[in-house]
Amino acid sequence: MATLHVLSHSPFTDSRLSSCLRIIGPDDGVLLCGDAVYALQQDSALQQTLERMPDSIGMYALQEDLQARNIDAGKRANAIDYPEFVELSCRFAKVNSWL
Amino acid sequence: MAKSLLIISRQAPWAGPGAREALDIALAGGAFDLPIGMLFLDDGVFQLAPGQQPQSLEQKDLSANLQALPMFGVEELFASQHCLDQRGIRQLTLPAVCVGDAEISALIDRYEQVITL
Amino acid sequence: MDCLTGQTMKFAIALFSPPHSPSSRRALRFAQAALSSGHEIVRLFFYQDGVHSASSSVVSNQDELDVAAQWRELLTTHQLDGVVCIAAALRRGVLNAEEAERYARNAASLEAPWELSGLGQLHEASQMADRLVCFGGN
Repeated sequence: MATLHVLSHSPFTDSRLSSCLRIIGPDDGVLLCGDAVYALQQDSALQQTLERMPDSIGMYALQEDLQARNIDAGKRANAIDYPEFVELSCRFAKVNSWL
Repeated sequence: MAKSLLIISRQAPWAGPGAREALDIALAGGAFDLPIGMLFLDDGVFQLAPGQQPQSLEQKDLSANLQALPMFGVEELFASQHCLDQRGIRQLTLPAVCVGDAEISALIDRYEQVITL
Repeated sequence: MDCLTGQTMKFAIALFSPPHSPSSRRALRFAQAALSSGHEIVRLFFYQDGVHSASSSVVSNQDELDVAAQWRELLTTHQLDGVVCIAAALRRGVLNAEEAERYARNAASLEAPWELSGLGQLHEASQMADRLVCFGGN
């Protein structure tokens, strides 16, 4: 019963992502949207942390938020659109949005 | 079979209506006899700290509502050990089970739906 | 139960943020995509600052996105069930005509198709749905 964790706050000013990564399950997924895509900022320590996450954890980022901020999804994360967001929320057993 | 819901409350008690409104979701679910669990995480654990005096901020007492959880049938109460330790909180005003990070992951798995506020 | 097998899913969507928040727009686009993919939305439930996203008093500049208006249009077009938490709404000054009269306030800012009701509606929606998806914060 894997969970898709959805984050939307900048990890540089907010503890949600670090809390999420602390308690994340081995088959869970992470979807970064809004300012949370700054976690993929190139050459940041966070980006490197995310790249070292186990392969079993799916990593996704909302394409429109990457594009708006000129951030590259990199090798580890998949850039997705809204239909794919909907599909992910079906594929995972539940969605946990860190409001 | 009713679906179970875990409410993860992350908000400090006096930072606005957030903590109370998260609690209201739990109480409403309990009133409908739904299987509800509540986990206090991050600054949410401050809700459980003893000796708070919200009158000094002209606020209603949140702890009275927290105490009502078991009466509303919400008996599955948890608090993050990591977050309690980090904040030096040793005494809780509710009979919450202190859980480690791995247990929290298992806990989220066990519930069918989750709301993190 | 799984859209990978082509079956439709039932979504309950809960919104916790005002119309000027990026997450209100994100929720809207998600809802539109879910409907376009053939899924069902059993209810939209607006809570906390999300009650402002249902307000009819929001005025956007002509060259700016009017998210509150788009929510209203989505509800009307697809005849969705849109519920605004009454306690959260009253606390934030989002009243329909009936509540404005009850509390002797001179302005109502919530209109049909939105309805004011209690938190039980959130629980009912999540019981009916295969997935509860919440949007809020940033």
